[in-house]
Amino acid sequence: MTVLIIGGAHQGKAALARALYPALPLCENLHLRVRDELAAGRDPMALLGTIGGHAVTCDEVGCGVVPIDRADEAYREAVGRLCCALAAEADVVVRVTAGIPQFIKGENPCT
Amino acid sequence: MLILVTGGAASGKSAHAERLLCDRAPSSRLYLATMQPFGAAARARIARHRALRQGKGFETLERTTDLVGLALPRRYDGILLEDLGNLLANEIFAPDGAGDTALGSVLAGIAHLQACCETLVVVTDEIFSDGMDYAPETARYIRDLAALNRALAARAGLVYESVCGILLRLKGEGNT
Repeated sequence: MTVLIIGGAHQGKAALARALYPALPLCENLHLRVRDELAAGRDPMALLGTIGGHAVTCDEVGCGVVPIDRADEAYREAVGRLCCALAAEADVVVRVTAGIPQFIKGENPCT
Repeated sequence: MLILVTGGAASGKSAHAERLLCDRAPSSRLYLATMQPFGAAARARIARHRALRQGKGFETLERTTDLVGLALPRRYDGILLEDLGNLLANEIFAPDGAGDTALGSVLAGIAHLQACCETLVVVTDEIFSDGMDYAPETARYIRDLAALNRALAARAGLVYESVCGILLRLKGEGNT
């Protein structure tokens, strides 16, 4: 089972992942791994093959003004595209606001 | 019928907007592109959107400002306007834009398009959540785009937000 948990920074995504999916290995802060991949000159989309079967948390980073810096824009774009691809494969996608989950794909395992 | 599709950068909103339009507009479809093709990033985005539309029976028209003055050759089943953020930026910042009256110009342009088709799908941007302070001209752009989104959402029969490629319905009744 693959779960994607998205939301703004510091919204309680990892805590929610641990509470709802204790059996799944946790991959935190996918956006930071995307940044690392870009910095290393690799295609972040390749991360997709390594995070199946995990509970993955990722900051939603695309809801601001388009950055002037090209690298910042490319980072934002790469996080968004990877999240679209991961969400398509995931069994569950959760959006967290102030610690409260919305299940935008799949079912809440606790109900 | 007006349909508004919003979402952050790279959230999959274009693909959903096209599908929503194609579901409702059986034959004649117009794609109205507002982006000025300056720079490699803009050209890459335009190429990606072209590839998405390929084979879906869209006429394509590029128009970066002054939608009110746009004389369309016919009436369409559906028009897809992509996107509001670029259109507003052009109206505010481009030499041939409306400048101080950008907001009213865009709203009048949307009303004009609505009169030219059965279904108008407008793609807009969520740019309001980065918590940054910006210079006055950028702050004005953000404020005006938010005002446009609110005004169009009030008029729209359906409003959606695309999140990680998942379409969430914010207003109206219908399938996603």
